[in-house]
This record gives sequence, structure tokens and C-alpha cells, in this order.
Amino acid sequence: MTTAPTTEVHPAPDGPLVVACLRIGDLRPTVDPLDGTVTRDRLGVGLSPADAAALEHALRLAEAWSGRVVAVCVGPESVEPVLRDVAALGATVMRVPLGDEGDGHRYVGELAEDEHGLARTLVAALAPFGAPDVVLCGDRSVDRGTGALPAYLAHELGAAQALGLVVLGPVTDSAGRQALLAERRLDAGWRERLNVPLPAVCSVEGAGVRLRRASLAGALAAEGEPVPVARSLAVVAAPGPGSFHAGAPQPFRPRTRVLPAPHDDDPRLRLLTLTGALVAHEPPTVVEPADAAEAADVLLAFLARHGYLDDTRVTIPERAATEDDAP
Amino acid sequence: MSTTAPGAGRWDGISFEERMATVDFRVGARAHITVDTDVCRSCTTKACVTACPADLFAPTADGGILFNYEECFECGTCYMVCNSEGALTWTYPDGGHGVVFHHG
Amino acid sequence: MSGTTTNGTTGPEPLEFDAVVVGAGPAGASAALALARAGRRVVLVERGPFPGAKNVYGGVVYGRVLDDIVPGWWDEVPVERWIVRRSTMMMTGTQSLSVDFRTDAWGSAPYNGMTTLRCHFDAWLAGKATDAGARLLTSTVATGLVRDGDGRVVGVRTDRDGAELHAPVVIACDGVNSFLAKEAGLLARAEASHHTLGVKEVLDLPPGAINERFAVQDHEGVDVEILGCTREIPGGGFLYTNADSVSIGVVVSLPELAASGVRPEALIADLKAHPSIAPLLRGASLREYAAHLIPEGGYDTMPALAADGLLIAGDAGAMTLAAGLWLEGVNFAIGSGYAAGRATDRALSRGDCSAAGLASYRADLEAQFVLADHKRLRKAPSLVLSERVQQHYPGLLCDLAEGMFTVTNPTPKPGGLKLTRTVAARHGVKLRQLAGDTLRGLRIFG
Ligand SMILES: Cc1cc2nc3c(=O)[nH]c(=O)nc-3n(C[C@H](O)[C@H](O)[C@H](O)COP(=O)(O)OP(=O)(O)OC[C@H]3O[C@@H](n4cnc5c(N)ncnc54)[C@H](O)[C@@H]3O)c2cc1C
Ligand code: SF4
Ligand code: SF4
Repeated sequence: MTTAPTTEVHPAPDGPLVVACLRIGDLRPTVDPLDGTVTRDRLGVGLSPADAAALEHALRLAEAWSGRVVAVCVGPESVEPVLRDVAALGATVMRVPLGDEGDGHRYVGELAEDEHGLARTLVAALAPFGAPDVVLCGDRSVDRGTGALPAYLAHELGAAQALGLVVLGPVTDSAGRQALLAERRLDAGWRERLNVPLPAVCSVEGAGVRLRRASLAGALAAEGEPVPVARSLAVVAAPGPGSFHAGAPQPFRPRTRVLPAPHDDDPRLRLLTLTGALVAHEPPTVVEPADAAEAADVLLAFLARHGYLDDTRVTIPERAATEDDAP
Repeated sequence: MSTTAPGAGRWDGISFEERMATVDFRVGARAHITVDTDVCRSCTTKACVTACPADLFAPTADGGILFNYEECFECGTCYMVCNSEGALTWTYPDGGHGVVFHHG
Repeated sequence: MSGTTTNGTTGPEPLEFDAVVVGAGPAGASAALALARAGRRVVLVERGPFPGAKNVYGGVVYGRVLDDIVPGWWDEVPVERWIVRRSTMMMTGTQSLSVDFRTDAWGSAPYNGMTTLRCHFDAWLAGKATDAGARLLTSTVATGLVRDGDGRVVGVRTDRDGAELHAPVVIACDGVNSFLAKEAGLLARAEASHHTLGVKEVLDLPPGAINERFAVQDHEGVDVEILGCTREIPGGGFLYTNADSVSIGVVVSLPELAASGVRPEALIADLKAHPSIAPLLRGASLREYAAHLIPEGGYDTMPALAADGLLIAGDAGAMTLAAGLWLEGVNFAIGSGYAAGRATDRALSRGDCSAAGLASYRADLEAQFVLADHKRLRKAPSLVLSERVQQHYPGLLCDLAEGMFTVTNPTPKPGGLKLTRTVAARHGVKLRQLAGDTLRGLRIFG
């Protein structure tokens, strides 16, 4: 792992433009095990390792070329603290609102559903900065991203694309032009080395480089500064000729739960603990609902009563005389 | 009706890994705590093994200690209970890294 | 901004302020607020990515201290529930005895206590400071003190390319482990016996279930302090209700925990499985596990609070009041932090930032509740953590209650004194000791 240098990039106004497209969101969203509702927490908002690597690569390329870095993120206002940290590294930052502001919960789903639209939104938002020479992305977002955004971006920009990279650096090609040298993993431990002409869209794995930290002066300068917001563009991809929509990606699934083995040395005791064979139980109850709807109500009421359901989310029918009243 | 309280005695534990998985750790590149296992070999109390709330001190077969810094609460318990000079170096992780409590 | 990074050998230029406050907990935020209000250039340095990220407490903030500092605070503070019921519970493995107090007076403005989560509360208070003009520098560790030729503190070093923040006064509000107070020689490096470890679980529980099980309405909360739930280890437990979760945990003496061979999470598991607690938590799942140290020496172990160019406030100055029935630190942190900020402002105006110039801080604290309460309760830690109170009284009181309330007819009810004597003897306590401790308790707490 390379140690990150800690200096900032000082943007040269006319140098090459390196763009980092960042997907900033809750890195550890919670998923309701019963109904799959995803809850995002604004305190968990941050850069995924892949996005952090993309940003670091962008800063290094801009340094090598005396260029400037623009970092953009499509997202709600809760991403701004992270963008401010990015600004502290010397990048120009911009937030692109998408659709319904203030509703931070729906946006990620929307992004993942229409990555072509997202790519167009980004390209439109970047237009004032001029044509980018390199656009960097993380290879995939942690929250059910498909990794398709960079390809769409390359398509929209008419740029070369090199995806899933582990190594990326500037070179001069045989004709004396600036270009990129990249590596990506192949099966069986092989790697493929690519010469990428500019302009290019590259996505990188969260490996190999670590994002530098801002200097004290940089951090103080960025602190409290407002984050520029692009005017709401929300370009939606009209399904054009030759495009098709593959449908929404898979919903989140909660992780499987690892349960510890009971501690007793005696296998028989362990088995007893696991099965609860000798532990006094509340006796099971037989309920005989008349129809399926009533059965569902009884089940929901049971779950709510035992704290498994937030009863503000479910309307619970008045308590049926059920198992708690059993002798 | 049984006299046992509901839930009591019933096996409903969660594993320690599961417990630690509820906590947000933004792991930094630098190990902010290091343990000198050579010093630990002559330690009789192994106080850290009992007291570390994150259970990060694993005794090894040769009497030493294996330590991983990643899932640390940065609470300070270990350096407070350790009586052996030089066994531990203890610093905070680099700014912005380490544990982040969402329900502190 | 000055101090641009140079790649050369000299390192970055230091950044100048009137005061540097380290730690954006309640103490630091209050200190920065006081200074910013006085028009001082103040920077608040926090090592977490946001204020509160590194902080853990049980769960109740007593807001009286805020009345003067943020008038009308209850209208804007991020609150989970307002405490209207406070229970003190003594327990043994199978019994429990509660003193339960409830009042409507605590359920409306100006309120008494509230549950709130530190990431919200600390960020709110730090927001007050930045609104008043303080600069907040997050994700930055103050790694050491900068001193001038005469040994006076004139700033801190940071872990951002080693750059320094310079100011005539540094206020260390860096919490229980305060490495700055240690570096200045004000705090011992590691005094396990003056610290307790708190471990806490936050458990998901729907608001409706909380209301029903704890007999409260929406926005109303309960605070339960528990004695006798920590096996042979001196300590106590707590249970607080948040909006849609409960916080449950134990606080135990560090050296005795280490010697006991009992893992801290096993103590919480015990408490959760207790017949008086388990039904309250049924079906609740773990949302977050956390741990933090508490300085618990009380007034008699409190360090000197000032050196040349340096003040310490809050937990860094061991100002938590943790004595069994009390577990208060946030209010003391706010009170002491604000006083430190004001004392710094006065010292800056007079141009004397030496320890003597900053001495009005201590005088201020002695006059306020901060040190007054600590002085009054100075013997409390040793009484509450004493063997009799920890090991014998919870069982004794529970047995006493069981003896009183168990209906034994046709055998006549036992007389109170006789019952007390038999039960006390069973627990190895003499009546004389019982009377003595009661008197001591009355003198300390009464
Ligand atoms: C388990 C438990 C339960 C408690 N229950 C209660 C309760 O119910 N009610 C109550 O009032 N009090 C309670 N307390 C006490 C209370 O939490 C503390 O007294 C209070 O937080 C002290 O505030 P502070 O600002 O002094 O320190 P902290 O809140 O600890 O803040 C210190 C800050 O400094 C930062 N910091 C530390 N070192 C550095 C550095 N070198 N550079 C930059 N930043 C640094 C930290 O990240 C932190 O944000 C409890 C404590 C515990 C552990
Ligand atoms: S860290 Fe300290 S307490 Fe733990 S084993 Fe080593 S010497 Fe003993
Ligand atoms: S600081 Fe606390 S959590 Fe971290 S290793 Fe030490 S005892 Fe364990």
C-alpha cells in the first residue's frame, strides 16, 4: 500500500480537468429483517473505499498534470459534510440534487434504478467546467450499485472506458500525448495492462491507494464553507432506440445472523440449551381464525406485541383473545 | 403457568462477532494500539483479556497476546488495567478514523 | 487562510487563535460557546468525524445548567424522551425492590432531565458554538501541547501534517483519558482505581411497546438506576428509555472487573435476563454495543484545574458525579466548560494567561453547583462502592421486603426490628453497621 502524500492540489485554471464522481451514502444501512425496509442514517454517510480510491487517483493525476479536480456527487443535503472534507483536499466540489430534496431515503433507490439518467444528469451538471479529460468513479457502490454508471458516462462523453482498475497512472504515449496506464485483475491472479487514451472514464477498485488527509490549513479553510449546489437538473433517460431497461436491481437482504454455540463442555447440555428441551415454555396456543385475513391479523398482532413490529408502521387490529390469555 | 420469566433461561444469545458488527468502525491504516507479546508472556494477571469490552486481546498458546486494533472502542480500559511497563503503546487513531457511535 | 502547506523542511506555519479548545464534547462546546460569544477567535478541535462520534454515556442529560447558557433550550434540543419517572432498584438474582418516583412536573417546561443520544446532543451544542462564531475542526487529533521557552502552554500539535494551532490559552476538554492533562502533569497516567468502565447496549423497541411496558405516554421517559446487578464487582446498572430504543448497561470498577474474570458483556446479559428486567425487553434486538470509561474518584481525587496557558474542564478534570444514585457528567461538563471559557476571556482581557491569571475559573466552579455538589458528595464514591453497600445491602433490603410482604398467616407477622435483625444477620451485617451507614448516607446525600 502506498502511503498517501498530504499536500493539496493547487488547481491550475487551464490544466487538464480531472473529475471524480462520488457516490456518498450510508455505508452501513440497516435492513428490516421482516419487511426489507432499508433505513439510512445520516451519521453513517461517507465515502466507500472504492470512491475514496477514485478521489485519491484523481488528486494524483491532477498533481502529475498540474490540472484541477472537480468532485461531484448526486445526493441530498446530508452528503455535504463529506463533500466539505473533499474540498479540504483542494478539489472543487459540487452537489447535484436529484428529484425530491429532503427525502434522503428514496434517492439511492432512484439512482440505482436509472443509471443512464444519472449519467446524463452528471454530464449536464459538469458542463460549466468544460470537457473532462478523465472521469474517475469507484468500481461499484456498496449499496446495490450495478457498476454500470461509468460505462454510461463514457457513452455520454464519447470517452474511452477502463473499468475495475487496481493501478492507474499517467504516461505519455508514443505520439507524445498524455494518456493513462492502467491495470486490472483477470482470473487466476493474472493482470491486464491497458493503455488508455484521453478523454477516458475509469473506475477503480477500493485497493492499492489510500485517500490522503487534508492539511490543517486546508481543513480550516473548508470548514463551514457552503457546498455549491448545481441547479436541479434531474435529467431522466428517455429510453432511446437500442436501449432497454433491465428493471430494478435486487432489493437489500439482511445479513444472515451468526448465533454462538452454547458454552457447556458436555455435548448433551449443549444440545439441551439449543433445543430448550428442559426450559419451561409458555405453552403454544392454537388459534382458529376464520379466514386468511384474520390469521394475518393475529400474526401481526403477535409480532407487534412482542416488539418485533413497530406498531406505528402497522395498524394492529384490536387484540384478539389469543395466546397470552391461554392458561 | 411457569414461574420462569419469559426469555430467561431460554437460549437467545447473539455471538460476539454479531455484537461487534452493530458498531461502526472506520478502520485507519495505522495500528493505534500495539501490544508487545514478549512482555505479556511474563504477565500473570492478563487483566486486559477480561476487561477489554471489545474482547480484542486473545491469549496465545505460548502465553503471549494476539491483538487486533480494528474493532476498538478507544476506551482506555486496557492501558489502565495493564500493570506491565512497556506492554502497550496506546494512542488515538488518526482523526476521523476508528469507532463512530451512532447511539452513544 | 494563511499557513499554506510548504513541501520544504520548515513545516507548515502555525495558525493563530485567541484560544484552542480540544474536544467537542459538552465541556468543549460550552467553552467554545462562551469564548465565541465574548468575540474571541476560538477553534474547537475534535478527533471524531462529527461532535459526539466518540462519546458514550448512559442516557440522561439534566438540563438546568442550560437555562442561562441557551435560554429556551428545551424547544430546540434534540430530545428522545423527557424523564417523568425515576426508579431506584435494588436487586439480587431473583428479587428486586424499587423506589419509584413519578411527577408530572418533570413532563413540561422547564423539565428536569431528558434522554438524548450523544451524536445528536453534542452536535447540537457544538452547533451553538459555531453559530456564535467558533471554528469547528473535526477529524483532527490534538496530539500534544506546544510550549514556549518558559514552559507555558501556547498551543497544540495536531495530526494533520503535524501542523500546530497557537493560542495564549488551551482548554483541554478531551474527556476521561485526557492525554493533554496527563502531558501537563495534572492527571496521573493510569489510575485504574479512580475509573469505572461503562458498557451499554442500545436495543430496538417500538415506541408503543415502550409506552406500554414502562407505563408512559409518548415523549415521556423513564430512568432506572440499579444496584446489586454486577455480581461481586462494585458497580451498578442503568436502564433508560429513548424514543424507539432503550439503553441498558452496567458501570463497574475497573481493577475489580479485571480481577474478576467476568466479561463485561456477561454482566449486561445477566441484567437483561433478570426477572424484573427481562419482560421489559422482550423481543428487543441489539442496535449498538458501546463502551466508555468514567472518572469516578469524586472531589477528593480531582486534579488541579489550571496551569500556565492551560485549563481543563469536564471529564478531563474528573468532574463526573458518579455515585450510585447519581450518574451525571454532561451537566458538570457544560457548567465547567462554560466557566473555563469565561475565565479565559477574562484572562485574555487582562493579558495574564498564567495559572494565576486563570485562577478565577476554580473560584467560579466552587461557587457554582459544579464543585459545590462534588464537595458535598465527596464521600459518596467510597460509601456507594463499599463492600457492604455493594454486596450485602441489596440482598438485605430485598429479603427485608420479602419478609415484610410475604403473607405468613396463620403465623403472626414478624416485628420490624426482629425481622431486620434476623435478615441483617443472614447477610453478615450488624445492626450497628446498618445504622452507621444509614447515618453516613444521610449525611452525604441528605
Ligand atoms: C456509561 C456512562 C454513562 C453515563 N451516564 C451519564 C448520564 O446518564 N448523564 C450524564 O449527565 N452523564 C453521564 N455520563 C458522564 C458523561 O458522559 C461525561 O461526564 C461527559 O460526557 C463529559 O463531557 P466532556 O465534554 O468532559 O467529555 P467527552 O464527552 O468525553 O468529550 C471529550 C471529547 O474530546 C474529544 N477528544 C479527546 N481527545 C482528543 C484529542 N486529543 N484531540 C481532539 N479531540 C479529542 C473526544 O472525541 C470527545 O468528543 C456517563 C458516562 C458513561 C461512560
Ligand atoms: S497487555 Fe498488559 S495486562 Fe494484558 S497480558 Fe499484556 S501485560 Fe498483561
Ligand atoms: S481501548 Fe478499550 S476497546 Fe480498545 S483495546 Fe483497549 S480496552 Fe479494548
